[in-house]
Amino acid sequence: MEMLIKIAHNYYYMVAILLFIIGMHTMLTHSNLIKKVIAMNIMDTSVFLMFVAIGYTYGGAAPIITAPANEVLYVNPLPGSLMLTGIVVAVSITAYALSLVVKIYRYYGTVDYDEICLIRSQE
Amino acid sequence: MELTNHFPALILAILLGISFLSPILYRWARKASAPALIASLFLALVMAVYLLVQVLQVGEFTYYMGGWPPPWGIEFKVNLLRVYMLLIILAVSLWIMVYALKDLEHELKTEVMGWYYTLYALVVGSMAGMALTNDLFNLFVLMEICAISACAIISIKEDRACLEASFKYLILSAMGTGCFLLGVAMLYMVTGHMNYDLVNAALPEAVELYPNNMFAAAALFIVAFGTKAALFPLHVWLPDAHASAPSPSSAMLSGLVIKIYAFALFIMFYQLFPRSLLESIPLNEIVLWLSSMGIMFGSIFAMVQVDLKKMLAYSSIGQIGYVFLGIGLDDIIAMTGGFYHLLVHAIMKSMLFMCAGIIIYTTGIRQIKQLGGIGQVLPITMIAFTIGSASMIGIPGTGGLISKWYLALGALEIGRPIFVVIILASSLLNAVYYMPIIVNAFMQQEQFQHQVKPVPRKMLIPLIVGMAAIIFFGVFSRPAIVLLDEALALFF
Repeated sequence: MEMLIKIAHNYYYMVAILLFIIGMHTMLTHSNLIKKVIAMNIMDTSVFLMFVAIGYTYGGAAPIITAPANEVLYVNPLPGSLMLTGIVVAVSITAYALSLVVKIYRYYGTVDYDEICLIRSQE
Repeated sequence: MELTNHFPALILAILLGISFLSPILYRWARKASAPALIASLFLALVMAVYLLVQVLQVGEFTYYMGGWPPPWGIEFKVNLLRVYMLLIILAVSLWIMVYALKDLEHELKTEVMGWYYTLYALVVGSMAGMALTNDLFNLFVLMEICAISACAIISIKEDRACLEASFKYLILSAMGTGCFLLGVAMLYMVTGHMNYDLVNAALPEAVELYPNNMFAAAALFIVAFGTKAALFPLHVWLPDAHASAPSPSSAMLSGLVIKIYAFALFIMFYQLFPRSLLESIPLNEIVLWLSSMGIMFGSIFAMVQVDLKKMLAYSSIGQIGYVFLGIGLDDIIAMTGGFYHLLVHAIMKSMLFMCAGIIIYTTGIRQIKQLGGIGQVLPITMIAFTIGSASMIGIPGTGGLISKWYLALGALEIGRPIFVVIILASSLLNAVYYMPIIVNAFMQQEQFQHQVKPVPRKMLIPLIVGMAAIIFFGVFSRPAIVLLDEALALFF
């Protein structure tokens, strides 16, 4: 029961982990290359969600200093700024992966990994 | 404010800078682009040697990026082990690049050569950064740079096998970095820091309070670095990727890229995690048994291959196992062996891929069984192949023996003779798949059937350097071993 209350309090971590598992599972098991790329994004985004959730403080304000020495509770800005870098990295990986998919499609005429394996085995 | 103080950052800056300049140079001053890359790699190597001298004089020191001390800024740490990695990375990549100048001409289209130099400099630069960095998030960014550019130096060849292999590699390394970042999130959650030393200082208390976070982080790190470094059950991407790539890329990927992740895992285990955590959960045992399985199965898979480069790639899975074995044995002698193997394997596997590259360049043959009698037409190449194979097997006089010797000594030291048996058995297996090639190449009576182009001198010189290096490290192993002993003593 105590465990359940803990989970209910930290449900955003659970959502992040769930998304991570969904992404990872789809990425590794689906044979469609585009779906693999999408799943990769879901996985990365779940980690970003995790980080941003770590930085959140209940009732915290945006971390902008308005007046000197005012004692307001702030949200931790560091995870957010780190995740901006993470997003940039994820975008570049996605772009590269999609360009590979385009090239693979030109060679094989399909984006399905099983069909590609079939074509390769018949050569 | 002396320039020499900034060498740790300058090494990275030079390599990243040349990566941006290469395509421009290739467009406007084509003749200057390759010498510029070689010059900047050489300059970085000189700086790394200077760092080594500095570390030997004053011991460990740190460099703050932009002058911001942690916890705000990124910290680079320079100690003996990191400089050792840095020297291996820069020296071996310079050596491979000299070979690549000639080899790439026939493997790539001329218009993408400038881009290849860009990607090459990015791979080397990001690995140099990984060797030096002392910050978890910085490590993540460098890992991603390394992953993308390592995939791209495979797919730049743009044939079907390369594209497919690099897509597979990309997906699995994205899984690896995803796991790593989640692990970092777990650590950040309980410690609030990204800097290794600060995390390490905060962890003993955090382990008491939130043990589950720590277990998750440790598991995620093993999966992340295991995937990237091709630790046994996570190795599936490696054979295709390393076999289909252009030969210089194969040499780079097999020689260096998988090693740096093994090094990163070592840093996680012995610098980041507190000793109490390593003792409370059997992380070392997991790494030990996975690496032992990798050593055996890598060799067994290599035996059944018909393609020369694929065989070499499977052999890499076995050989990276030795490095992990050194890490897992948790004994300073074994670890010395593991890290010595890292150096020796970087040289010998790169050289073997170069030999394969020369064979493909001159004859176009990739199949092992067509290589009968090739020793008569390509004598120097096949002698280099013989020396490389001898080092893989661990014949006295080559570097491979020294590392296996220290690994075995370390295994006996902590009373685990079973790993000595594994090392011996795998040496035997290595002999089973390397020896037939050599015997066929030199002993076959009939003439070599295929047409042979003359071997360019630019390709032979790196091979001769490689042969000399392997024998040098087999005969004069003392300086490197003493250096490693001193370097690893910091972690115990």
